[in-house]
Amino acid sequence: MSATTVGSHAHDDAHHAAHARSFLGTYVFSRDHKIIGMQFLFSTLIWFLIGGLLALGIRWQVAWPWSEMPIIGKMLFAGEGGQISPEFYTVLFTMHATIMIFFVIIPILAGAFGNFLIPLMIGAEDMAFPTLNMMSYWFMWPAFIAMGSSFFVEGGAGSAGWTSYPPLALTAWSGQTLWLIGLTFVGVASMMGSINYMTTIIQMRAPGMTMFRLPMTIWAMFITAILQAFALPVLTAAGFMQLLDRIVGTGFFIPEGWTANNAPLASGGGQPLLWQHLFWFYSHPAVYIMILPAMGMVSDIIACFSRKPLFGYKPMVYSIAGIAGLGFIVWGHHMFVSGMNPALGMTFMVSTMLIALPSAIKTFNWLGTVWGGNIRFTTAMLFALSFVSMFIIGGLSGVFMAATPVDIFIHDTYFIVAHFHYVLFSGTAMGVFGAIYFWFPKMFGRMMNETAGKIHFFFTFLFLNFTFFPMHILGVVGFPRRLADPYHYQTFHHLQPLNEFITWCAIAMVTTQVVFAANFILSMFFGPRAGRNPWHANGLEWQAPSPPGHGNFDFQPIVYRGPYEYASPEVDTDYYPQNEPPPEEEKAEGDKPPPPPAH
Amino acid sequence: MGKFWSVLFLMVPVLGVASFAVAPLYRHWLPLDVSEHGHTIDHLFYFILWLTGAVFVVTEVAMFWFMWRYGHDQAKSGKFTHGSHSLEIVWTIIPAATLLFIAIYQMNAWAEAKIINPGAGPDGILGTADDMPATLEVTGRQFEWRLRYPVPPRLRNEALGRPADSKGADDDTDKDLFVVNEMHIPVNEEILINLKSADVLHSFFLPNMRVKQDAVPGMKIPVWFRTMETGTFDIVCAELCGWGHYKMKGRLTIESRAAFDKWLVDKYREQSATHGLQPVPEGDSE
Amino acid sequence: MNRTVPFGLRIGPIVGLLLLVSGCGPSGPPQFHLNMVAIAEMQIPPDQQQQIANVLDAMFGTPDEPFVLPESGLDIKKIQMAAGPVKSDQFGRETGLYRRHCGHCHGTTGDGLGPTAMLLDPYPRDYRQGKFKFKSTERAAKPTTDDLERVVRDGVQGTAMPSFGLLPDAQIKALVEYVKYLSMRGQAESYLTSAMADLSEGEKLSLARETLVDEMLQPIAESWTTARDSIIPTDGENAKPDVPPAESIAKGSELFYGVKGNCAKCHGWSALGDGQTNDYDDWSKAIFEAHQSLDSDVATLDSSSEMSSEERAALAQHVAMLGRALETDALPPRHAMPRNLRQGIYRGGRRPVDVFYRIYAGINGAPMPAVGPASPGAQGTLTPAEIWNLVDYVMSLPYQPISEPPRQQPAVSRAAL
Repeated sequence: MSATTVGSHAHDDAHHAAHARSFLGTYVFSRDHKIIGMQFLFSTLIWFLIGGLLALGIRWQVAWPWSEMPIIGKMLFAGEGGQISPEFYTVLFTMHATIMIFFVIIPILAGAFGNFLIPLMIGAEDMAFPTLNMMSYWFMWPAFIAMGSSFFVEGGAGSAGWTSYPPLALTAWSGQTLWLIGLTFVGVASMMGSINYMTTIIQMRAPGMTMFRLPMTIWAMFITAILQAFALPVLTAAGFMQLLDRIVGTGFFIPEGWTANNAPLASGGGQPLLWQHLFWFYSHPAVYIMILPAMGMVSDIIACFSRKPLFGYKPMVYSIAGIAGLGFIVWGHHMFVSGMNPALGMTFMVSTMLIALPSAIKTFNWLGTVWGGNIRFTTAMLFALSFVSMFIIGGLSGVFMAATPVDIFIHDTYFIVAHFHYVLFSGTAMGVFGAIYFWFPKMFGRMMNETAGKIHFFFTFLFLNFTFFPMHILGVVGFPRRLADPYHYQTFHHLQPLNEFITWCAIAMVTTQVVFAANFILSMFFGPRAGRNPWHANGLEWQAPSPPGHGNFDFQPIVYRGPYEYASPEVDTDYYPQNEPPPEEEKAEGDKPPPPPAH
Repeated sequence: MGKFWSVLFLMVPVLGVASFAVAPLYRHWLPLDVSEHGHTIDHLFYFILWLTGAVFVVTEVAMFWFMWRYGHDQAKSGKFTHGSHSLEIVWTIIPAATLLFIAIYQMNAWAEAKIINPGAGPDGILGTADDMPATLEVTGRQFEWRLRYPVPPRLRNEALGRPADSKGADDDTDKDLFVVNEMHIPVNEEILINLKSADVLHSFFLPNMRVKQDAVPGMKIPVWFRTMETGTFDIVCAELCGWGHYKMKGRLTIESRAAFDKWLVDKYREQSATHGLQPVPEGDSE
Repeated sequence: MNRTVPFGLRIGPIVGLLLLVSGCGPSGPPQFHLNMVAIAEMQIPPDQQQQIANVLDAMFGTPDEPFVLPESGLDIKKIQMAAGPVKSDQFGRETGLYRRHCGHCHGTTGDGLGPTAMLLDPYPRDYRQGKFKFKSTERAAKPTTDDLERVVRDGVQGTAMPSFGLLPDAQIKALVEYVKYLSMRGQAESYLTSAMADLSEGEKLSLARETLVDEMLQPIAESWTTARDSIIPTDGENAKPDVPPAESIAKGSELFYGVKGNCAKCHGWSALGDGQTNDYDDWSKAIFEAHQSLDSDVATLDSSSEMSSEERAALAQHVAMLGRALETDALPPRHAMPRNLRQGIYRGGRRPVDVFYRIYAGINGAPMPAVGPASPGAQGTLTPAEIWNLVDYVMSLPYQPISEPPRQQPAVSRAAL
């Protein structure tokens, strides 16, 4: 399908027929944004499972270092009596973080939901560049293969931490090279996606869909795409530099006269801190890439199930933009104790403090949205509310780290681990679960089981808090991250029982996801059929068929209002779809409302 | 069900606060602080803890209350409001002022911990201070801390049994003491450490001093603190440095100046040994 | 339109996951492994392999349940503390020390083949030959308990062996005892392997307890218990002469570059360790030679046409066995690098007496030769006084201006203002 310009929504059956394709063309090498979105969704969910299992490996080692791992320990580590070896432990946490960040969170937000929702929510029939879109998915595969196969090369997968700090990363085994190659492909894939999203949102909105009538999800995706487009090239370049250091011996990141492991290395003349600056120049904005889309989706879900307009739409938009803007000048707060000039630390401290502000505004507005609502406690809503509740914790713990003197103590401790898991798991992942429960009917045309969903929510919510909240306390004791055997330090010796508790809760949390997997797969085939708009939501996507066919809409969507006109006094129903013409207009022009098409 | 879910959400602030209240009773809290600037850091920590704690409780309880109060009701519908301009202004200005206050409030503590080097004289130039602090060099290496102490001629003479003012000290090949993992420092003195790395990044972390600084190859980074109490504490590596990262444990012993000098002398004597154990005569083996 | 899910896309990651979880390798409690390279080289048939394993099991037990005969002179209490899985009882007494601190490099069997080993340069020590480098005894003698304790306590700077000095004394002693236990076990194994190989057709090795204890265990145990007799004396004529340092250093320098000491041959004219660098230590040499013999056997197999089919089959089997053993039970051989003497890194310790031992007795297992007398009273290449000159010279090398890295100019100096 060719890129269409605004308003030219040619829609006829011949057009569809022209695109009848083989199975491979329809489902595998598809250029339809919905199929690509689902390809992303399924790939990322599988990696989510792998990443989660790796996390259990980490937890096992932290709770019971050197003890025999049941069942799989015998198979994997027979040489050492079923223990996790320390170098495999470094592989575990490196790959857990890498997979979760680059293969799960970023692609599930931008790739899966961005792809699926953007054209539907703005009333377009597809992305601006469908082929580019397809390529952005298929460029993930070299990365999947590189990272996946790196487990089997000599020395194991990447083991220098997900931050891949040189010089350690330069001396790591060949798994690290594969890691860098994988990272490069992920970067290229995301880059293609972000260009596509920006173009689509700017160029392909339905008539009447002004920028300030866009749902928050779209705003978040839009700003995320901008962030990615500007920050990613830096990481890709840095990744190439590290690759050159490893392969050609260029020495961008190693100082003069440096040797390690008894091997003379290339000439040097570089600086290890340079990598940290380049890496965090991307990876701090990446933190927002990993949360903004979830914030957008949560805003939509909360407004829908509070049956009430979003509180402070424009401040919400401005605060997302503010987070994105400030996000570019706070990377140094990852480097307060790195040896960077401490005077710079002060600057970064102030900018970091300021970035807490838009987050606070968003939180207050979500609370404002819930206030005075008529709340429906659906599974999606519960996940969205838990996003807000958990994001408060993640946001407030960030203030400790922004305070440079306090950061001296808690840097690289479990306080940090607690903080980013509260933001990324309790925040983003819960938001993503909410989004799956919310948009599943649109994706597959069937409803997910609410009871199973609530069981899934209850135990996930319970165990994630039992897992991650105590990590704050570990951090207050100074318990460092990434130690294969922390208990030989007298300072941390007494923390083992607490760690055992955390590990049991983590195991329970991962087990709970079985309920989700079963619900997801069974509902996909046997769930009750969903109509076009099962939630009585306002967004354009809910006016299309479920699941939407090729070309998305079976009518020409024209937008008359913003997406959050719930409980509007203008109409009798408590929702007011964006494309429903206002009553006076109907009278004046005698326009028929778009036929409420029976499915 | 709405009430059930709202109570579940109420558990977040309740259990959250409770766990922070109970943790200190089980020593799951800030480790003993024996340094001077550690008090400042702890004070800041508590300040932020109380502040964020208050915000945490208020917002989470508000969330609970809204969920409790505004559950689904067929008879009513949600309030039709798009927001409030004045509210937005209020909840922008108040957090902004608070955050800026924290930022400014802590700048001194940061400067004292990382910027105002005690080795600098009143003119701010390194190496011109009248009373140079006790200095040592710490080098992170996979996977241990290598320490180097300058041993003053007086102590070297003492160690090698020379007269106290012997000029022989000038001819010593090793004028420094090299030790591994075992750091001794005198109490109540300003300590200045030159932190280096022999291979990869390490992070020199003294939990009881509230000191943490990455060791970067190619850089010599000054670290300073003043100890207040004697005792034995851990030296921890806090930056991933390879598969044996967890092994990088050191021991910090803070002791009186006299004990410290004696330790220096003993260690230096040991390091200069030209005699080992002697063979055991036949038939007297263990 | 009801869309289904592209199934093909999900197969790849699932297969990957299964591989990840099922992994590879055998299962069961940790076992001691036989030295398959030696067995393949000496062509020990499986039934004899089993006999070796049985004898070793009876004499030394298993990693989880070690056992020693009183004749070994080993302390079973200490060994039990070091062996087994990592645990601590209700009194906080820890066991499984070896697996916690050592095994992942040195391997369960003490063969230097732990899972971390291949990441390290130099490789971790293989205890099975009973050869240790850094000790105070004559070259061929075993190290004393004190020597091993010193290595565990101080680590070996310049290698991946870290310092374990912060462990409690009892634990260090237990670990050292366990290292001796593994070493004796390894020596017993190589005794048995060669004895089996020396048997003629149809002959059987006597496996009676008395014979084995008398002929195998006793001599091995004795070499360890008498190690302290072989300590190199450092008093009397070996004591450091009282010479002004500058004079001693000058003499040492002459010896270093002269024909008599000839240190520069390997350590290089720059003393940067850039002399002869293509030699192997004993451990790598064994593997290197095994590789060579494998290569020549393969060549024979390929070229020779005069072999009978049985001979050919036997050789092919041998090649396959040795090839497999070298792949799974050995690390690629590496050259032994002479030390760069300008770094101030002394693997065996930086006390002058340590350097004296290194030069006097050389480094057992490494190309570094002994220059002191081979036995007390005999004539060595160098006199003790000359060795001390060399010690002084070598220890002054890191302080020569040329060795020091260029100093950073202070950004601002007082004079500049």
